[in-house]
Amino acid sequence: MSKGMNRRQFGAIMGGATALSLFGSLGARAQDEALRLIWWGNPDRDRRTNEVVALFTEQMGRNVIPETYGWGDYWQKLATQAAGGSLPDLIQMDYRFIFEYARRGQLAALDPFIGQQLELDDFDANQLASGAVDGSIYGISMGANSHSHIYKKEVLAAAGGTMPDHTTWTDEDFMALGMQIKDQLPSGMYFTQNMGYVEPRLESFVRQRGKGLYTEEGAVGFELQDLKDFFGYWKMMQDEGLTPPADVQALDATGRMEEGMIVSGKSLFGFIHSNQLVANQNLVTEELEMVMVPGQQGGVPGQYLKPSMLMSMAQSSTKKEAAAELMNFFITNHDANDILQIERGVTGDASVAARLLEKLTATEKKIVDYLAVVADHVSPLPPPPPQNAGEVDRAMRPAWDVIAFGGVSVDEGATRYYDEINSILSRI
Amino acid sequence: MTEVSNTEGGPRNALAVPAVRTPMTPLRRAFLRNAPGYMFLMPWLLGFFLLTLGPALASLYLSFTRYDLLTPPVWTGLNNYDYAFNSDRRLGNAMRVTFTYVLWSVPLKLAVALGLAIILDKSVRGVSFYRATFYLPSLLGASVAIAVLWRQIFGVDGLVNTLLLLTTGWQGPSWVTHPKYSLITLIVLAIWQFGSPMIIFLAGLRQVPQDLYEAASMDGAGAWRQFYKITLPMLAPVVFFNLVFQTIEAFKAFTQAYIVSGGQGGPIDSTLFYSLYLYNEAFANLRMGYASALAWILLVIIGFFTAIAFASSKYWVHYEDEGR
Repeated sequence: MSKGMNRRQFGAIMGGATALSLFGSLGARAQDEALRLIWWGNPDRDRRTNEVVALFTEQMGRNVIPETYGWGDYWQKLATQAAGGSLPDLIQMDYRFIFEYARRGQLAALDPFIGQQLELDDFDANQLASGAVDGSIYGISMGANSHSHIYKKEVLAAAGGTMPDHTTWTDEDFMALGMQIKDQLPSGMYFTQNMGYVEPRLESFVRQRGKGLYTEEGAVGFELQDLKDFFGYWKMMQDEGLTPPADVQALDATGRMEEGMIVSGKSLFGFIHSNQLVANQNLVTEELEMVMVPGQQGGVPGQYLKPSMLMSMAQSSTKKEAAAELMNFFITNHDANDILQIERGVTGDASVAARLLEKLTATEKKIVDYLAVVADHVSPLPPPPPQNAGEVDRAMRPAWDVIAFGGVSVDEGATRYYDEINSILSRI
Repeated sequence: MTEVSNTEGGPRNALAVPAVRTPMTPLRRAFLRNAPGYMFLMPWLLGFFLLTLGPALASLYLSFTRYDLLTPPVWTGLNNYDYAFNSDRRLGNAMRVTFTYVLWSVPLKLAVALGLAIILDKSVRGVSFYRATFYLPSLLGASVAIAVLWRQIFGVDGLVNTLLLLTTGWQGPSWVTHPKYSLITLIVLAIWQFGSPMIIFLAGLRQVPQDLYEAASMDGAGAWRQFYKITLPMLAPVVFFNLVFQTIEAFKAFTQAYIVSGGQGGPIDSTLFYSLYLYNEAFANLRMGYASALAWILLVIIGFFTAIAFASSKYWVHYEDEGR
């Protein structure tokens, strides 16, 4: 006479269900001992990093769980993890963001580990100092890099162009070269990618005029006229047919290397950070050469040597000593660096650098030679960017696109963007 | 005759309780009868309260704060809403883009769905194959993979331009990254997923009594007249359902916009859907408080349009079990 299930049967079923759900957490237990590492990258860097991780596990016996994302998604992911208190033990950091994260207490100070787990006796003092925030070290530079242009050597030669001296060439020389060879380029390929929305290019431009993107106090470091000149130059380049038309250029808005103009065969010249040469070369069949960014008539050197990326540790990590060992492995271990080589930049550890010099491929030698040349033509590292600098960078693309698509004049577009920069910087 | 009672020696059953404790009132009996039901509902209820209602209320609180995920939230009152209504130029863009998308894609999608449902409402051989094929896009459509493909197809070297070049010799622009056309590619993507409303229309068409059509054609009504005077009114409840459902989905569209535009809302905000703008404000600019405010504004907007639809339904939607 029972109506369906009685209490005993019900209790049995609920008990069984709860027991089953406990099995799910068993898997989680086993991961507690492993270190977590996160980085942004490209296919080449991902392959190398994963190999180093496997090597670390083999040599040191500790598991490492790797996580990687493209540049576009990386900071969102990191912010979410920080909010949830679940930042990975080791974090690849950028010079622009390390101040934000360190000052908000998300990163661990590395000073206690230097000299212990972090064997940095051979490390270049300047590069080490580039990871300092308010007196403590929060990140170790994984390599130095600088801005650069790349171009396809054979294509330039086939089009009848010759490269002028890249340590002294100017924007005018660049445009003149383009005008000379633009009709001889293969179909579908333009002289250069457009750089009107590339913030590092703007940075070089204003630094050549003795200014900077930002002042020490975090305000805009250049004037409206500088921005007008910059946008004006690139609009002219586009109008002359030296850059892809606006809608084709907009295809690289995702930030993925595979969709860039160089890799998709749409331009002869491109803008990269010097350590990206290897990854770009791996995606392109033509040989790439690396040269300095064009200067300006009567300008000063605009480039600088910066840490390409830094390795930091999360303050919330529960395995700081082990994480420091992993960090040391990446930076000083010879076997690891034989794999990483200089894809992230030329390392500051002198013994590693010396050892690597013998093993470099031709492409990598170009980077080392390039940095040696650039080192004679640089000006000092700029001050760290203020908060919201990331937003200013992101706002540059739509600001440029309005001009590129002919929606507004160069003057109007520059004024709008300049006002927007100021309002972004003043917004908390 | 011995009385059957709950106390001392009477027949026992699972719901027997000692009479001294609490009397078996009707309420208590109802509760005990329903208790297993609630226990079975518990997983869903827990999910609803913990994963839906709870976070929604938390975001309501956050919408009055400034919160950047890395430091605790700071109360700022109505600042976020004030900024949204008075100072945010990009929000205006996002609203414009989203409204354009909704106003174009929903009616066109429903029209195509209804048209094809009528065509496929025949018992021709092989019709179920056609129905399945037309339904397929709506299964896959909202996925990341299709969005990635869509970006390729409408890119400057993509399938569409290749076909145009072959047939007309004209080199098309990069549809997906041109501010004039980028939203159109997304509207086309939405319309392409007409399959699920089509299936619902097919079911609704089955409900229309055939004798109405026979009577009408005997009176001399043509096909178009029959459609307008019989099919549409009889389908009104289904149209209403599809309209409300598709409108809500269109307002919330995110994946397609994110992938096809490359994450930033397309050239010059031309594909800056509201939810994409919200996502960027939250996770790229770390303005969680402002993003929460935007989310609640969207809720009010969607609620407003749904309310309009329901209020107007009195005039054009007639269910079978009513009079009139």
